[in-house]
Amino acid sequence: MADPSPYLLNSVLKAVRVGVIVLDAGQRIVLWNRWIEQHACLPATDVLGKTFADVFPGMVDGRTHVAIRSALLNNFASLISQTLNKAPFPLYANPADAADDARMQQAVHVMPLDVPDLPRHCLVQIGDVSMSVSRERKLREMAVELESQTLVDGLTGIANRRRFDLHLEGEFRRARRNVSPLSLLMIDVDDFKAYNDSYGHQRGDACLARIAAALDAVPHRPRDLVARYGGEEFAVVLPDTDVEGALQVAEAMRTAIAALLLEHAHAGNARHVTASFGVSTLTPGQESTTGALIHGADRALYQAKRAGRNCVMVHAHEGSSA
Amino acid sequence: MFKLSALQHDALVEIFNLGVGQAAAAMSRIVKEEVTMSVPLIAFQSRAQVAQTLGSGEGRRISAVAQQFVGAFNTEAFLMFPEEKSLEIVRLMVGQSLTMEELGEMEQEAMSEIGNIILNSCMGAFANASGRELQGSLPIYHAGTGDDILGLSGKEWDGVVLALKIDFNIEKRHIHGHVAFLLDMTALQDLQQYVDDYLAGLTK
Repeated sequence: MADPSPYLLNSVLKAVRVGVIVLDAGQRIVLWNRWIEQHACLPATDVLGKTFADVFPGMVDGRTHVAIRSALLNNFASLISQTLNKAPFPLYANPADAADDARMQQAVHVMPLDVPDLPRHCLVQIGDVSMSVSRERKLREMAVELESQTLVDGLTGIANRRRFDLHLEGEFRRARRNVSPLSLLMIDVDDFKAYNDSYGHQRGDACLARIAAALDAVPHRPRDLVARYGGEEFAVVLPDTDVEGALQVAEAMRTAIAALLLEHAHAGNARHVTASFGVSTLTPGQESTTGALIHGADRALYQAKRAGRNCVMVHAHEGSSA
Repeated sequence: MFKLSALQHDALVEIFNLGVGQAAAAMSRIVKEEVTMSVPLIAFQSRAQVAQTLGSGEGRRISAVAQQFVGAFNTEAFLMFPEEKSLEIVRLMVGQSLTMEELGEMEQEAMSEIGNIILNSCMGAFANASGRELQGSLPIYHAGTGDDILGLSGKEWDGVVLALKIDFNIEKRHIHGHVAFLLDMTALQDLQQYVDDYLAGLTK
């Protein structure tokens, strides 16, 4: 089959929806197609014969310019991605964007080009990836949105903070209706910052996952809930449970964590990973709120930390029947 | 397995370190943050050995960027990282948190560019060292086990792999990757000639 005529090739170059620039060995522009005329707002007659540096002074010695040099000198092809290089060429989707200097999102390919009887040339192809970029952005937003609706903590697999809030709210109303005691445990892993600092975040994450599994194995009733409260803090909701019952659960959990024997060379007063526990129990009246229950458990947890860690403390609610 | 003389070995290590040094400088300019890279180790291995190092036996997933080089010697070059490490590199380079567990389309392209920079720099250092030319293709992104990736050039292939370990440092993070050059017997001889030319150039 015969090669297509130069006339046909020229028509194709004009029609393609891709920017095509060809530079000779001296980096002078020898080809500038219709697409690039439109989006650079520069007619071919203004740029042909000029050097890359003359036409794009802002790009001298930048990533694209280095890639062009590498194609001409070393015969290497380069990819210049949109993700790592935000819109290298001053190209615009339309004149309005050009007026606002809002550049088109671009993917650029720079390739060496052999030309008969002449030193090597360089081909620069530019594609408009605005659509892909906005699609990816949308996907990412949806992933974040989905994540915000999930009830499971991604790292540990137990209930997350959102599930905890919903569950506590429900159990609180139920306890008020039934005039039954509701207990809350707040748990904080001791010296966890030192653990992360000395063993690294990956082992820190693995440690949290082990602790979560150990805590989750202790309660047995269907409405008990162990949740990751945030960072290295966990919370346990225990419906129909008085102080004595809550203390028993807390003590069982404290022992379970110590029994994991997770090495911790930089803990204040233990060789293994331990946790401190704050217990708070309320039989909710009309005036009481979940805030009071959480606040009580937090106070007790603080006392447990002050008392030397690896222990359980109880907060006494004023006027509480528990 | 094929062996280089101590002198040839040291020459290769030096050339590759020169190459990744240039790649690190190019990447530093992109992220406006210090990136350093070095090649502590090179070895000739069989394809199966390299796949094993990459955890193929355990089904470990690898992200790879592949490029063809032809000319003074012909080779298919791969830059490979465990999939989670390539995610981390792109995260560090792009400076945004990605919630996805695999690289999306745009991140794959970013990873391809990173591979392109590193492989071109390695081969560029090579070409400059010996004054002989190589032609490089555009990068292609692949994901799969080391076996899948290195097997892409066909089952019948019976050559040797020049395997490099790469240490990559960005924002106080240290990440190890691998570069593999697939060399058939002809390419291997050409490579040796190539290194000899370089050494001859040094002693002139």
